[in-house]
Amino acid sequence: MRNVGIIGIGYTPVFVSKRKDVNIPEMISEAVDAAFVNTGLTPADIDAIVFGNMHTFEGVNLPHLWAAEHIRSLGKPVMRIATGGTTGMAAFHAGYYNVASGLADVVMVVTYEKHSEGDAQVGLMGIITPELMTMLSAGIDVTGGSGMGAIGGGSAGGISFQASSYLYHSGAGIEHIDAQAALERRNAAKNPYAHLKDPEATAEKIAQTPLVSWPIRFGHICPTTDGATVCILASEERAAKLADKTAWVLSVANCASDATTANLIESQITDPAEHRPAVIASRQAYERAGIVDPKKEIDYVEIYNGFAHQTLMYLEKIGMCEVGEAHKLQEAGELEMSGRCPVNASGGVVSTNAIGTSALNRVTECALQVMGQAGEHQVEKDVHKALAHGWGGMMQYVTITILGDKPKKG
Amino acid sequence: MMEETREVQGTWDLSTLKFRIEGVGLRRMLDGMKEGKLIGTKCHKCGTVYLPGPFNCRKCHIAINEPAEVSDHGEIMTFTIGYADVRGNPLEEPRVAPVVKLDGCDSWIMGVLQGVKPEDVHVGMRVKVQWAENLTGSLQDMAYYVPE
Repeated sequence: MRNVGIIGIGYTPVFVSKRKDVNIPEMISEAVDAAFVNTGLTPADIDAIVFGNMHTFEGVNLPHLWAAEHIRSLGKPVMRIATGGTTGMAAFHAGYYNVASGLADVVMVVTYEKHSEGDAQVGLMGIITPELMTMLSAGIDVTGGSGMGAIGGGSAGGISFQASSYLYHSGAGIEHIDAQAALERRNAAKNPYAHLKDPEATAEKIAQTPLVSWPIRFGHICPTTDGATVCILASEERAAKLADKTAWVLSVANCASDATTANLIESQITDPAEHRPAVIASRQAYERAGIVDPKKEIDYVEIYNGFAHQTLMYLEKIGMCEVGEAHKLQEAGELEMSGRCPVNASGGVVSTNAIGTSALNRVTECALQVMGQAGEHQVEKDVHKALAHGWGGMMQYVTITILGDKPKKG
Repeated sequence: MMEETREVQGTWDLSTLKFRIEGVGLRRMLDGMKEGKLIGTKCHKCGTVYLPGPFNCRKCHIAINEPAEVSDHGEIMTFTIGYADVRGNPLEEPRVAPVVKLDGCDSWIMGVLQGVKPEDVHVGMRVKVQWAENLTGSLQDMAYYVPE
């Protein structure tokens, strides 16, 4: 396995709810161009391309081939990866495998989502269609008013069971979810590539937004965003020639459990808040990176939080604190940009969610922190090692990437 | 350069999809519900009981097919309170939706809870199935849960 580093990042100029001035390939192209401008590379320097976006969200099922010339993949190896919310990081992992294995020296990872041209609910339907058909054939009440089965409301309906179970097992309250959403929307105000920004956000303000599905309020939920993100990876040898600064990949890991949504065909047996995949993948990633005590050795964390409670829940799962401690760290101010355990200085997914990009943005935001290039949302403490977390699939798939300011030895 | 996106009306005809949608265990469960019974499937090796039953045990990875009756009483493992319907319109009354682990069963089942104020619902609460008046072998037969 060769050492691999991140040598360049490209974002669309903005992440907003509706980009009406560009179509999908044009928007992707903006991020690709930004990555070339930021690195001084040209398409000729790229050996292979990995592409990622959500399945069926825009009704385009071969975007990587439709937008071939826009991602400069003509005459080069290209593959598309779609693993739900984790898509961006799964694509990043595939890019890493390419370089670490020696198959390629420089790989470009391209991700996007243009929610305004699609329908996230139809996309999510496309994930559970057989399940839904089963329920319909077995006499489910689709309004959710009676009988056994799913309650409507897309992923907010499903996720509320996770949030509720997390609160029960951790001792945290809905006020901590409010406070976490507020903290991250304040952080987002310092990030030019964030979507929902509110420098004045407070827990009280979030608490005034309507309950959608207790304990999840409107203010706890991610937006639907248009945007694209590109990340260029290179081998140690090429990085030395091509880049002034590099964020080194120390380890990657991923893990799934059984689907923890309403699993009617096979029956649900796993607590959606138990999330062993996050425990397993993070421990594997620590071991591979030679990290013994993450609480001491990981300086910065980016959590994939489509819903605000997930920041707290996953901090516990990945061992950055004990079970029941995350909300206490929050109360003590330790999760702020100035704290001992800064998390989601970018604003997290709860502030910006162009889904295909979201798990990759956790990695690129960790890279910016490690390289000291996060600008106004650079955290106060020195960041030598950072952990990026992705969540997705049928609510039960987790990806982990650990970055460092020095390449791994040995 | 067009400034605006345009909408084109269309529908997705799901009837063109030919899913094999009925698992063995789900059929067994629906048939049992006609008699007011909940029949799951038990792993003969580790004893795990699933409702509805898959045809392999998720823990032992072996084929399973042993019917096992499950109680219609159980415990709330997690729950939510819905304030909006599937289309996002506000509900007149908040709806309590628990996920229940029935006695004698290891898997969890969702549903609707009636006869309790939303603020009184808690994890660990004991509930029982309120069966529909006419049992037809449909998921509607388990009409809702009520406190035990």
